Amino acid sequence: MSIFKKHNTNADRSASDRRRHKEKIEKAIKEGIHNIVAEESIIGQSGKKKIRIPVRGIKEYRFIYDQGNGSKGVGAAPGSDIKKGQKIKEGKKKNAGGDPNKPGNQKGEDFYDVEISLDELAKYLFDDLELPELEKKKSADLFSEKYKRKGYRPKGIRPRLSKKETLKNKIKRKKAAIRNGSYDPDSGDRFTFHEDDLKYKHIDVTKKPITNAVIFFIMDTSGSMSKNKKYLARSFFFLLYQFIRYRYENIETVFISHTTEAHEVSEDDFFKKGSSGGTYISSGLKLANDIVGERYSPSSWNIYTFHCSDGENWSEDNPKALEFMSRLIDLSQLAGYIQIKGATNNMWGEEMAKIFEPLTSESFKVLKIQDKKDVWPQFAKLFGGKYEL
Amino acid sequence: MSYDRTTYGIEDLKEFDDKICEIAKGYGLDWYPINYEICDYYEMIGHMAYHGMPSHYNHWSYGKSFERTHFMYNMGQSGLPYELIINSNPSIAYLMLQNDFYLQVLIMAHCVGHSDFFKNNRCFADTDSETIVSKMRNAKRRIQEYSEDPNIGLEKVESFLDSLHAVRFQTERYGMPRKSKKAIKQEEIDRFNKYKEKGIVLDYSVLNKRLLKRDHDLLSFLLEYGRGYEKWELDLIEIVKDESHYFMPQIKTKILNEGWASFWHYKILHDLSLTDDMHVPFLKMHNAVVRPHIGGVNPYHVGFYIFQKLEKEFGLEKCFEVRETHDDVAAIRLFLDEDDFRELNMFSYRREKNGDVFISEVSDHDDWKTVRDDMIKNTGVNTIPHIFVDRIESSGELVLKHEHDGRDLDLDYADNVVEHVRKIWKEGEVKLFTIIENDVWEI
Repeated sequence: MSIFKKHNTNADRSASDRRRHKEKIEKAIKEGIHNIVAEESIIGQSGKKKIRIPVRGIKEYRFIYDQGNGSKGVGAAPGSDIKKGQKIKEGKKKNAGGDPNKPGNQKGEDFYDVEISLDELAKYLFDDLELPELEKKKSADLFSEKYKRKGYRPKGIRPRLSKKETLKNKIKRKKAAIRNGSYDPDSGDRFTFHEDDLKYKHIDVTKKPITNAVIFFIMDTSGSMSKNKKYLARSFFFLLYQFIRYRYENIETVFISHTTEAHEVSEDDFFKKGSSGGTYISSGLKLANDIVGERYSPSSWNIYTFHCSDGENWSEDNPKALEFMSRLIDLSQLAGYIQIKGATNNMWGEEMAKIFEPLTSESFKVLKIQDKKDVWPQFAKLFGGKYEL
Repeated sequence: MSYDRTTYGIEDLKEFDDKICEIAKGYGLDWYPINYEICDYYEMIGHMAYHGMPSHYNHWSYGKSFERTHFMYNMGQSGLPYELIINSNPSIAYLMLQNDFYLQVLIMAHCVGHSDFFKNNRCFADTDSETIVSKMRNAKRRIQEYSEDPNIGLEKVESFLDSLHAVRFQTERYGMPRKSKKAIKQEEIDRFNKYKEKGIVLDYSVLNKRLLKRDHDLLSFLLEYGRGYEKWELDLIEIVKDESHYFMPQIKTKILNEGWASFWHYKILHDLSLTDDMHVPFLKMHNAVVRPHIGGVNPYHVGFYIFQKLEKEFGLEKCFEVRETHDDVAAIRLFLDEDDFRELNMFSYRREKNGDVFISEVSDHDDWKTVRDDMIKNTGVNTIPHIFVDRIESSGELVLKHEHDGRDLDLDYADNVVEHVRKIWKEGEVKLFTIIENDVWEI
């Protein structure tokens, strides 16, 4: 009596609404990503590795009752063995060091785990940022040639003859000949290749200007650089690396760690080695100057220099530091001094940020980072992002 | 005869449908004709996202709903509902290809129960079941047109819908039939005139006030009292309002509706005298459907219990009467006593700050009434906070109030909803008064 029918219209009816939803999520990723740039999970990952990041779901707000402390609900038990005071659900264990006020801890939050590659992350993060005067260097003279197959041509050199296309042309011609009667397939005559059948693979050459960049990461590893400060420095350097890598084809990195004297070290050592000793800020800057002189001619390299320290320096070194810094600024496309300092940190002497402050220009910025949450805003400031402080 | 899950065809379904209909008629069930659409699981999720409506306007939230269901289904976290049927004449129901044959039979019997409930329960009297499908189709078309209109566009339509959706359930509640602006005014005039006849002159200036009576149906309120809307905005308000009014009775009768459908699939399947290879899995499925849920009220569980009890104590006729005249809250109040609460093993629980949940009351002699009251608070319209329009100030400011019943609002959500109302109230500020931890709170 009822009617049955196989359903085969509008099979994927929600496709457009899903697309809109996805667009909203992407926007949320873009907006929320700044909060996670300093999280352990993304720092120090390399290559195309996929990372999972939590994104807050797109909420549909309505009036609801508070489901928090003291709120009540009703359930029904399958067995008879329930009693007053019995615990039926375990709350979430507090994460060590977790921020209890973090919005994510609230009930009813939708979290999507979105999997993106570092490249995508870079795209989301960096699309709004600009490198100052990118490619101002002589790169216009330097080109890399890229070869790419691009269709077929009637003329060409023998090694590029496309047998397949040539044969196709011959067959076409043969069929046509049979159709209009000019060739009889049963006659036993061979139907030969003709000059017009020949097709050659075409190779297109595109010239691309080479953009070379070298980034100098200089870090103070004196005794006062605590693990936490180094972690912040690492977050910042990680962002820098990803960002500059995102803009350049060819990128090299130089890691310099220094106490009272400076050494070029491997990336691994740079971040992992323990800290001890006093500080000469100038030592790291001087070594960077030397390395530029030896290996990276400013005429063909875009140079980026970033120096992280906690701002303490032996005061007798200050004039020298100032001098080497200004020399480095002249060589660099962009230079930055990043002072990482806890809020409660009291130090003796004048902090380096103050000393470097007068050098500030389009191509030199002094940044201060106290906390994980400063990492992104300071980073954006460095590249003139729209992220206002 | 045995029916294999992979080899049954539409003919087999028809054969059983005929039997089911015959049995149901014999009992006096009176339902809309049912159109079954056979679809695969992917289409099923698609229909679920739009509440089973064959056509429905587009909005990203339905995409979200799809993604969530699809994700959960793929993760094995949830099965799909075995039945999806809409309140329309004819009723439209969906049968998933992947279902075993016995399950399709169960679903068809279940759907007859739902359709009968839609057709006969008083709450559904004004739900336009005759026209709802074409109404939704037309609404979809118009919204599509607005989205494509260069003077309006998708962004505006979407954001206006976002705001309307935020308040769409702030609508009619139990025992509060809404009066139109005109009717309220006429009543007041009549009242004034009555006094006038007795020689008492009241202050007529009151009549010039825009809002004479608090209004708990926010979308109807906007339509009648709001100013400055463009035509398409008024249309959107009306579309969303109509849909809310259409779905509200289903919120009010979830327990009875599911209970009634389960009561009948159980009865009908019993009368079908199935062979063991169908009867055993059917019983298993039935038990799974009506089992208690520890974290909340399972409407199938409680509803099935209510109708079974009514049949046992008062006979089948009483069951028909209840399906016609009651909603969930009334049925819980009237038909579930201490013994029933104990039998259902209902309890109240309390959430602690750290997320732990403890049983606070069980259905014993001392506490069963508390459990019942908590249950009623978590049933039907009572799950939706009661927000009403209190007044419109002369400045154009809209003042909303929350009728506090001991439960505080979730402030984060409330803030955001008020923000949405600000977007659709064009004449001035919007304020909401509520109570948080025993103090007045203003948003």
